[in-house]
Amino acid sequence: MKLCPYCAYQNREGYFYCEECGHRLVGDGANATLPTKKFDVLTNQFARSTSWGTAYFADQSLIVLHVRDAAEPITLRPQRRTILGRYDSSSVQKPDLDLTPYGALEKGVSRIHAEIQRNDETLTIQDMGSANGTHLNGQRLIPEQPRVLRDGDEIQLGKLIAHVYFKSGSAPL
Amino acid sequence: MRFDFDPYSELGISPTASTDDVRAAYHRAAKRFHPDHNKNPGAATQIADITAAYELLLDKGKRRDYDEQRGLINETEYYFQFRVTCSKRVVNPLNETQVIYMLAEVLPDPRALESKHKRDSRLNLTLILDHSNSMNGTRLDKVKVAAHQIIDQMQPDDILSIVSFNDRAEVIIEANTVKDKAALKARVSMMTAIGGTEIFQGFEAGIQQNRRFLAPRLVNHVILLTDGHTFGDQEPTISLAKTVATEGIAVSAMGLGQDWNDEFLDQIATVTGGTTSYINSAGGVIRFLNDHVRSLANVFAERVQLSIAPDTDITLESAFKLLPAPQPLSIDTGNIPVGSLQFNRTIAALFQLELPPNLKPGFRTVARFTATGDILTNQQQKYKAINDVSVEISDETRDDNPPTAILEALSKLTLYKMQQRAQEALERGDVKEATRRLENLSTRLIEMGEYELAQQAQAEAQQVAYTNNLSDKGRKTLKYHTRSLLLSGSSQADVE
Repeated sequence: MKLCPYCAYQNREGYFYCEECGHRLVGDGANATLPTKKFDVLTNQFARSTSWGTAYFADQSLIVLHVRDAAEPITLRPQRRTILGRYDSSSVQKPDLDLTPYGALEKGVSRIHAEIQRNDETLTIQDMGSANGTHLNGQRLIPEQPRVLRDGDEIQLGKLIAHVYFKSGSAPL
Repeated sequence: MRFDFDPYSELGISPTASTDDVRAAYHRAAKRFHPDHNKNPGAATQIADITAAYELLLDKGKRRDYDEQRGLINETEYYFQFRVTCSKRVVNPLNETQVIYMLAEVLPDPRALESKHKRDSRLNLTLILDHSNSMNGTRLDKVKVAAHQIIDQMQPDDILSIVSFNDRAEVIIEANTVKDKAALKARVSMMTAIGGTEIFQGFEAGIQQNRRFLAPRLVNHVILLTDGHTFGDQEPTISLAKTVATEGIAVSAMGLGQDWNDEFLDQIATVTGGTTSYINSAGGVIRFLNDHVRSLANVFAERVQLSIAPDTDITLESAFKLLPAPQPLSIDTGNIPVGSLQFNRTIAALFQLELPPNLKPGFRTVARFTATGDILTNQQQKYKAINDVSVEISDETRDDNPPTAILEALSKLTLYKMQQRAQEALERGDVKEATRRLENLSTRLIEMGEYELAQQAQAEAQQVAYTNNLSDKGRKTLKYHTRSLLLSGSSQADVE
């Protein structure tokens, strides 16, 4: 049997592509559950390992968002729904996190780009039908389909790349 | 005396083999393919030629005659090349079953490309055109334009007939050489849209026209164009298609719009070696028909058939034609028609076989592949090529990268199979599974950069979740577009 690294479906020996999800089972793609993360100098101090971080998000935790090439990380306390996007004077809805100061316009971030949802003890992220798409650890998300967000994940909105870290405790904002 | 096969390769021996060698080789072959041992339909088609080869080679006089004449023929006549590639050359013995893929490719004789012999093949073409009520307006107009262009394309010695049908059939142009083009066009222009759709009537009348000039030196081809469902006459249509396949007529089907029965038309095309196309806009008709007819005018070998006889312990699971027109093949028959071989093209088909557990180490045969066809410019038209495929069974793990051609074909074929499984799940009434499969398909399509098709798959996944069914358009789009991904990766180039 050959276990699919993406969906854990048991394929017969000799298959090259998973019968269930269609991913490649052999060669370069086989072990690449996640692409190797690339950290820039600023975020490197946080890089402990390239394995998956925890998905547990405690009651009082905060999200620290390191936008690539930005000097300061963004800290925010996620609401039940936190919309990431770009504020535009003509748009009706204002995003909860406005990425305009981080070059959102040039990097193709939509006005309502993605949403972080807070569940009991986890966070999920979903694309809100943005023009340029949202990637989670290099994989493009299907619009309106939430995916679990973990500590250390890389998200990409359009061309804007950011790393997400969970910060525990009730440090003041 | 038969020259359409090579008795030495039938038995897998050299032309210098002794009579004892011939006997031994025959017993080996009989053990592999005799119907007493091997129930596969492919094996039944092999054993006749193997026995004929054995009888010929045992008779010293016949064998000498064959050797002499064969040498002369080989110099003047063309052949086609036949290659079979395995996904693995070295197979590890396992205590479970495993899958192996074989890519079979038929290529025209390279000498034929340069030779002065090359000329356009003569056509015996029949168009069967739907003129039911639903064709009213742009659709019928475009069909007329396409028919006019085809008439313009025809050479003076080509044979053309056109039949139109609704509830009944009407012969618009009787089968004959194309002489007075203006008069033929005028008759096409008089078609009006009226009535229902009964395919059998039109099909039968069209076949009758085609049969009048049916000859082995011609490319005998019928194109059926329809935009509707036919009711109650599928069975006779398919059985007629099976009959004409043995006579050497290929049938291609084109479905226009959303409301035609794809499984039915696929079946007609598959049994005759033709192709099915999905044309979703009236404007596409002109290009599709013209391209198709042009491809028929450039034929090196007609009525090409593949046959595969796996060894007794090996199972053939599925077959899929990759080139020139991707479509699933039926493995229930010994001879699988795959259509015509063009001068500058390849016919390629991928086979999936299952190997049993606990294989003994060493070299072994897996299956015999044959390709037969009529090479149009040859005196002796029939030609047969044999390929006995062997693999090495060994514990050694070698870094044996599967051939790129197989991997690439499989990456696309997997997508086609995913939509197929989603539809099968729906037919079983398993909405949850169908939705999941469509979502997986969509994810995979996005990763391959096929955004439009991915969106369609996503939309259909939602459609299924809400209505427990696919839309007609979505179903056909997914089916034929995932299929056409196999054509060198460009999804939009070949589908309107």
